[in-house]
Amino acid sequence: MIKKLIEIFRDSPNSFDGQEKDEIVLLLLRRHVFTILVPLALFILACLLPIITGVMFYSYLSAQGLVNLFFFVSSIWYLGIWLAIFYALTIYTLDTVIITDHRIIDNDQRGLFYRNVSELHSHRIQDVSTRTNGVIETFLNFGDVTVQTAGSEKQFVFHQMPEPVKVKDIIMQTAATRDSGVKAL
Amino acid sequence: MSSLPEEELTAVYHLNDIININMTYSFPLEITFNILAAVLFLIYWGLTFIILYHLTRFGIGVQPKRFAAIFLLGSVVVSGAAIILFMNIDINSIIPK
Repeated sequence: MIKKLIEIFRDSPNSFDGQEKDEIVLLLLRRHVFTILVPLALFILACLLPIITGVMFYSYLSAQGLVNLFFFVSSIWYLGIWLAIFYALTIYTLDTVIITDHRIIDNDQRGLFYRNVSELHSHRIQDVSTRTNGVIETFLNFGDVTVQTAGSEKQFVFHQMPEPVKVKDIIMQTAATRDSGVKAL
Repeated sequence: MSSLPEEELTAVYHLNDIININMTYSFPLEITFNILAAVLFLIYWGLTFIILYHLTRFGIGVQPKRFAAIFLLGSVVVSGAAIILFMNIDINSIIPK
């Protein structure tokens, strides 16, 4: 029982709502980790605020008998930060691109209650391009992947994807195998 | 007219003032403070539930499950600490008399 519970955190399948029976997930993509590190760093800085305030005003708080109140207010501050960190992590985690052997699904999560899901079937893929812009993206190897669909339909742009060239190759390979009728992998 | 001497009357008035302060000001403020803290905790756990629900219901793969577990554990620890710190507060010492 406990072993099964622990396994959830080690080996959960990349299954998703609406997955077809014979559909295989080739890639599960999220934005590059760097994109979440910046807000996390700000939250960590915000964690220092009660410590700095406490050190600076301890004698005053102590004289006024407000130390316990200060500790309580600080704990509320940390509760807020804890919530904000995991709100950011939730949005980051749920904002995914799933590439299967049948289609590409773009889950665009912008808020807890604002989600945009777009789907693109492999046979509609015309061409794929990548765009790496700036020093950080070049060194950390992430960038945008644009998928052009058939006809005058809209473009699919996946922002800040890690290893964009590899992603492009896999999408092209999927589209090619789908067109030729040969099953991928 | 009262039969008590003036000094005793002053003492009675003084006691009356103390009782009035405690009953009309301190008591409702303490309750308000407690209710505010309870509402704050309810809002926090409501938001925690929403985040946990999203991570476990819509999350794909291992990462969201790990985040959900860490988040739940951390929430219990931090809110437990907040409850203990809240119990240490003597609201009567904070209220200006």
